[in-house]
Amino acid sequence: MTSRTRHLFPLIAFLAACFLYAPLGTQAQTSSTPSSTSAHGERWLHVRVISTNSKGETVRVNVPLELAEKVLPAIDHDRLHKGKVRIGCMDCDGVDVRTIFEAVRSAKDGEFVTVDSNDEDISVTKKDGQLLVHVHDKNKPKHSQVEVKVPMKVVEALLSGSKDELDIAAGLHALAGQGDVELVSVKDDDNTIRVWLDSKNVTTD
Amino acid sequence: MVLLAKVALGFGATVALAGAYTFREGLLRVDVDGTRGSGQHVHVWLPAAVIPMAMHFVPRRRMLRAGEQSAKFMPLVHAVAKELQKYPEAELVEVHDGLQYVHIRTHNGNLLIDAEEPGQTVHVSCPLATIDDVSHQLAALAPAS
Repeated sequence: MTSRTRHLFPLIAFLAACFLYAPLGTQAQTSSTPSSTSAHGERWLHVRVISTNSKGETVRVNVPLELAEKVLPAIDHDRLHKGKVRIGCMDCDGVDVRTIFEAVRSAKDGEFVTVDSNDEDISVTKKDGQLLVHVHDKNKPKHSQVEVKVPMKVVEALLSGSKDELDIAAGLHALAGQGDVELVSVKDDDNTIRVWLDSKNVTTD
Repeated sequence: MVLLAKVALGFGATVALAGAYTFREGLLRVDVDGTRGSGQHVHVWLPAAVIPMAMHFVPRRRMLRAGEQSAKFMPLVHAVAKELQKYPEAELVEVHDGLQYVHIRTHNGNLLIDAEEPGQTVHVSCPLATIDDVSHQLAALAPAS
């Protein structure tokens, strides 16, 4: 081996080692525990279902809203097309859902529907720009509770499409502009269901 | 002797650099382990960079057929892979159903799918960039609608 080669060998060996182990080095740097709080501005939709039956089923889904918003228009299946879902019953049995929504939107805050019976209590309320639906089923041993909270802006966006369709993509976009909010909460004998929105990329509850 | 050393050095350095380049994009990894019966074991480890490259060697008519068959869902796969690259560390889906378990997440820019049930476990790891690349190529081959 000449003296020139001998001098170059460590340099070449070093460069080769750098290239060879570059991916491993990157992995070592990034494999630390990720922070539960996502990057600035990211909004995550979380779904959690916990079943109390013998199998103990659990479902946890975390979806970045931006991803859902971008991916949804790529789905063309059945009634879902370009981020809009055709429902075909916006005029259900002569009840015009849009007109009712418009009336609710322009109305002042208040409780619009109240049903108190032996079987269940139902209430539909508008408060601070949100539509709140509460259902309390008294028939079940543990009294099932359903709470739905939908920002009015989201409903408005959902109904922004043509007459018989819901604009899901617009709804997600409107949802992204909301703060942390619990959208759906269901508690009954068998299941606990939660759907909520926050800035964390993991389910922490 | 000196010449042999030079050749060996050149060859070694080329192999090291080629190896480093090939594995730089990560690995496609599929591990299937069955414990039922004879116990099926499948372990596939492939450098991710090779996959889009290998697609260029697949006969054109077969690629066109693949593009045609996957035309319906490939734009969706492409959109998901493209968007998921923005979330290199994310827990996406976790399902426990008795003895069955499914976990889908991203880690270090890879999509990881773990599925377990009594008698069988499946682990898949694939760089999102590779999924994006392959789905993009297949989507481009789909007949125009």
